[in-house]
Amino acid sequence: MYSKISAHFNKETADPRYFQILYLGSFLFYGLCFLGWDGDAIKYIAIFASAIVTQMVFSYFTTKQYSSVKSALITSLGLSLLLKTGTIETAILASVFAISSKFLIRVNHKHLFNPANFGIVAAILLTNDAWVSPGQWGSSVLLWFIVGAGGLMMILKVGRIDTSITFLLVFGALLFIRHVIYLGWEPQVWLHKMSNGTLLLYAFFMITDPMTTPNHIKARILWSSLLGGALFVLSTFFYVQTAAIWLLFGVSLLTPIFDKLLIATKYQWNNLTASTINNPNQTT
Amino acid sequence: MKKVILTLMAIASVGQLAMAFCGFYVAKAGADLYNNKSEVILVRDGSNTTITMSNDFSGNVKDFAMVVPVPNVLDRSDIQIADRSIFQMLDAYSAPRLVEYYDYNPCGLPMPSMMDVSMEKESTTKMATYTALKDNFKYKVTIEAQYSVEEYDIVLLSAKDASGLKRWLVDNGYSIPAKAEHVLEPYIKSGLKFFVVKVDLNKYNPKANGGFLRPLQIKVKSDKFMLPIRLGMANSVGEQDMIVYAFSKRGRVECTNYRTVKMPTDNLVPTFIKPKFGTFYTDVFKNEYRKVGKNAVFLEYAWNVTPTFNGMKCDPCVGNPPYTREITMAGVPWANQNGVTTFFTRLHVRYTLDKFPEDLFFQETPNTEMYQARYVITNPATGDLSCAEGRVYQDKLRLRRRKELIELASLARWNTDSYYDYIAHGTDKVRSNKAKETDHNSKNINVPFWFFGKGSTPHKGLFLLVFGMLIVYSVKRLKLTLVKG
Repeated sequence: MYSKISAHFNKETADPRYFQILYLGSFLFYGLCFLGWDGDAIKYIAIFASAIVTQMVFSYFTTKQYSSVKSALITSLGLSLLLKTGTIETAILASVFAISSKFLIRVNHKHLFNPANFGIVAAILLTNDAWVSPGQWGSSVLLWFIVGAGGLMMILKVGRIDTSITFLLVFGALLFIRHVIYLGWEPQVWLHKMSNGTLLLYAFFMITDPMTTPNHIKARILWSSLLGGALFVLSTFFYVQTAAIWLLFGVSLLTPIFDKLLIATKYQWNNLTASTINNPNQTT
Repeated sequence: MKKVILTLMAIASVGQLAMAFCGFYVAKAGADLYNNKSEVILVRDGSNTTITMSNDFSGNVKDFAMVVPVPNVLDRSDIQIADRSIFQMLDAYSAPRLVEYYDYNPCGLPMPSMMDVSMEKESTTKMATYTALKDNFKYKVTIEAQYSVEEYDIVLLSAKDASGLKRWLVDNGYSIPAKAEHVLEPYIKSGLKFFVVKVDLNKYNPKANGGFLRPLQIKVKSDKFMLPIRLGMANSVGEQDMIVYAFSKRGRVECTNYRTVKMPTDNLVPTFIKPKFGTFYTDVFKNEYRKVGKNAVFLEYAWNVTPTFNGMKCDPCVGNPPYTREITMAGVPWANQNGVTTFFTRLHVRYTLDKFPEDLFFQETPNTEMYQARYVITNPATGDLSCAEGRVYQDKLRLRRRKELIELASLARWNTDSYYDYIAHGTDKVRSNKAKETDHNSKNINVPFWFFGKGSTPHKGLFLLVFGMLIVYSVKRLKLTLVKG
């Protein structure tokens, strides 16, 4: 009996998705309770319910494995944290598109887009009722610390720390050169931009998805540098304030190319069963 | 008890619907609520932004000067003089409001539901000094354009470096704040031009427009939707208030680099608030400002004001809603077009240099949810209340008043200890002279200790978040140890 619990627990702790759910969940809680976000419960329920139902339906027709409900939960949390919308229909649309993209848009046995990101992009493009609020977290150094520490714990488990660090270093360095060294603003201006909660959440949670980042570490470093550089250019010179969402969508298209050029182990949520794809045609 | 209040509210709301367009003022807290304030109208249309800056300069007009960083060199047609009254009109329409309801006498004839409205207001200050302008070669300053717009002399400058621009401004008689050079530099390097204004004393008529300078309305073209607040902070110590009236075709305008937070609304507060609503709201604002860590933008009003929109334009109206004429005056180019939505947002920001290191950036959102900062007082029933229902009513009334005092204490941080007569008698007599309404340091037994809900501060939240994570983490560790053991 005891060993059963033990086995279950070890398995649980081995799966970083539990940590992801815990952290994203606590940020949602924080936003709703302390940052005064619109607490429209039905909208959140709609996001979660439609994500789980979509996941179940696709699982039924494909793998018949229902453990990936965890992933649906993470996607729903991501959507709840980032997507703002006035109607439940839009929330459901985003959720259904997000999960469907995982099953329908696949290259090399990996889904191409970060599901939450895909859902947000779909909602913004297809409805006239969805938006993201880059300022919703405010900028607080304390928040930096917490999102950072939480994110770090999570991605150390996932092993995608390189993506976050590279992205933040590239983006931060470019921003520092432009705003502090060239334009001559005080370092506080830079700090204010860098401690934006949305940026941190994006760096630690959105772009560290092992399924939509390249498999090889060198490819990931290149991939996230590209993302950081492009985000800097778009936000600084073209004033696209929601550039991060669009860029992740665009850069995701490069992931299969990187995977083709630099072959490495495909990530498995449960690393005990990780297998090497030496031959891209080999199924896992 | 709660149910009864809800019922009373529901009845009152019906009256309110009918009364929506005929609210009247009981108390008008005037334009002097905030000391250091400015008002701006922003109209966003694609990548065009029309900015109207209020002008409450009250010194000698020959000392008046204004320097505004703008993204491009403006044409003459991009500069207009606006009517001062548009600010008063928009302020009156969108100011936080106090609504008044009356309870029914359960023992006698019901009183008609009525409501009153009161409001609060604000205005602008911006300055520097001025004389004439001449050669500019040595300053590395280029005069890109020069216009005379009624009583204003306007110069559009581009500069190569901040010290040159500063010398040019000083030599031409503008007393630029000592620290301004530091702020001018990043603006110059970002390619911004400078819109420099002084008053042409020959054309200025001190008797016109109540002795005030008229607001300037400029149209700029840029993908950047922002307000440069940094220049205004170069020399200012302490807090400055700014009210932004924003018009958009889509929906609400929100800030993208600071949080946009709604003011608390629909709170039931004691009846004695009525004559001092201005002070009350100022204190509510001060309290909220403190709670958000002094670096957020507040939403005070959001409504669809499309002239052809048939719904209510406010609920209840503090002032007349803006129609085509006023919306056009505010600089909205599409006011006469049919089928185009005009959405209005009122934002209130109190900024200081340490908490607002960056200029304010905005975005239009498709959020068309209406919102207003509204506070409610409910007058008790009058007449004979000796019947059984009347006695029940009186018990409930006392409970309600207690709750209203708690609300007052937590919203505005007033010390409500000395208002205990209010619960039994509904009076606002303060029993002890020692007690001061706005004494923030005094112990206040009525402040409820809430951890959750709208009233909690983000810092408290962060603390809880860390604490919660620690607990979860410890529990996990503990369980693992148990399992291993």
